[in-house]
Amino acid sequence: MTPDDEARLVAAARTGDSRAFAALVDAHQQAVRGFLRRFCGHWAEADDIAQEAFVTAWRKLAQFESRSSFRSWVSGIGFRIARDARRSHQRASLRDTEWRAQQDETEDEAPLEDRIALAEAMAALPEEQRAAVALCLGEGFSHSEAAAILKLPLGTVKSHVTRGRERLLQALETRDEE
Amino acid sequence: MKSEARLQRALAAERAPRRDPSFTLAVMREAEARRFRLQTANGVLRSVGIAVAGSAILVPLAGWAGSDPAGLQDGVLAAAGLIGLVAGARLMAARAGALLRR
Repeated sequence: MTPDDEARLVAAARTGDSRAFAALVDAHQQAVRGFLRRFCGHWAEADDIAQEAFVTAWRKLAQFESRSSFRSWVSGIGFRIARDARRSHQRASLRDTEWRAQQDETEDEAPLEDRIALAEAMAALPEEQRAAVALCLGEGFSHSEAAAILKLPLGTVKSHVTRGRERLLQALETRDEE
Repeated sequence: MKSEARLQRALAAERAPRRDPSFTLAVMREAEARRFRLQTANGVLRSVGIAVAGSAILVPLAGWAGSDPAGLQDGVLAAAGLIGLVAGARLMAARAGALLRR
């Protein structure tokens, strides 16, 4: 989606056009959900938070200033919801297990051991570092976009991404040695 | 396989699907449900407000009407005139707005 298309859809959605907003959700759900899945570690919970983020964005669309992209803005909303969330993980974990089992049957992109090692290493990262890694390495957001989303200085984000990446690589290598 | 490539593949495995109409639908349904709840709550509050304001006017009016029937007639006529004036003004404003939007 080009920035012009996005601006047109945002303008239409602001007037209450739900089809325009649905098109925005459709175009950006992958990035927002991908980021939140890596940040939260629980897929079902991440998807719930992503849904909440989009619903909040729809309600607060008048506050969107178009200085950042729509996906950055919604990712920021999702990040703050996820950070503040104090939810039960039990239900989400159960659904995660089912979802992962399905994925394992249909995808063989990465060995399960690597995915487990990565999930564990991600969970062990400090919160802001995990978010920076999930945004920049996971979803290809630029460092500046991540800095705007996380409300952190650019240098801090760069250092989080570098250190986080090192720790993830180390976790994969450690897994090999075991 | 090199660690960097393994990391990229493991990260990619956590990716959400590119298209997911069921997710979009869930978002829109939730948004619609919340809008409906908000509208319903606003409607209830408005009705309660009107009922309270109406009783605040009608209760003293009922007492006064018994003692001064001629005054009541004047009051009713004045209120009807006022309501007609407001309705006319609203109609004109709506038509002017529609013309400007064209």
